[in-house]
Amino acid sequence: MKPSLLQAPRKRANHRRTAWLWLSLVCATSLSPGQEAVEGDATATIRTLEHEWVEGQSSNDNRALDLIFDNALVYVEYGKLITKGEYLSRVRAVESNPSQIVMEGITVRTFGDTAIAVGTYHEKSGSGSKAHLNRWRFVDTWVYKQGRWMLVAAAAAPSSK
Amino acid sequence: MRTLILTVLLACAGTSAGYGQRSSDSDAGSKIIALENLWKQAAQLKDLKALDELLDDAFVYVGPDGKMLTKADVLADVQAFRGLQVLSQSMVVHFHGDAAVITGIYQTKGVDHGKQFVRRSRFVDTWRYKNGVWKSIASLTTPIGS
Repeated sequence: MKPSLLQAPRKRANHRRTAWLWLSLVCATSLSPGQEAVEGDATATIRTLEHEWVEGQSSNDNRALDLIFDNALVYVEYGKLITKGEYLSRVRAVESNPSQIVMEGITVRTFGDTAIAVGTYHEKSGSGSKAHLNRWRFVDTWVYKQGRWMLVAAAAAPSSK
Repeated sequence: MRTLILTVLLACAGTSAGYGQRSSDSDAGSKIIALENLWKQAAQLKDLKALDELLDDAFVYVGPDGKMLTKADVLADVQAFRGLQVLSQSMVVHFHGDAAVITGIYQTKGVDHGKQFVRRSRFVDTWRYKNGVWKSIASLTTPIGS
């Protein structure tokens, strides 16, 4: 999902927002050890995490993204396969870019300790008269491990309305 | 006859209860790759029974055009294709407990609703192991260079 790392508008240091994001992430991802994922809770948690991911990426919050992404994450961006390390390096390299990605709808299906989130979002690229919107449909795979949900795979395909 | 062979292959590849317990990740990885290949063969042969066994009832698919299909939609879609040829390459499997994520590249040729097409796409499929059976629960295919 959210392959909007190619654009680079202004950098904005917003420590307060980052701290809030961190706190909500810890609440969203952690349950007490040994506790199993409950379906309703899982759905709500994954929706929250999907939004936190957008927030984390928009504000270049690599620490938050590191918590969300499994180390073995596979991510497909514009048809190219990239690892967690490559993704985080890219986030570090570009300037923060709030409001470039707008989530539309998400449906979450849980299968025990695995969950599939399917949804759409649009991203703005370019600026001024050259600005245009790309719409994507994504499929993200989340796995509940060590008391929290981790993103293990994410991919998107270009989508028209 | 080909459908019968495919059904037997499916049982051998580990979708049936006979597979029992998952052994090592490398064995399971080979099974997942075998199942991916069977899935493509089943699609080419329009073997709906085999596809029904491979796909979970809640299976969801997003195609290279961004359209979302359910299992029933996929089964209906397979029947609309003519002369479908699928070649899978560069498949890599990652395990996460009872889930497996496989990535790879498809080279697809065929006729869809009377229109000939050739596509090269990257796919990400998620499989889940439950009651001794691997079933695909989600799949996305996106054009390379999209």
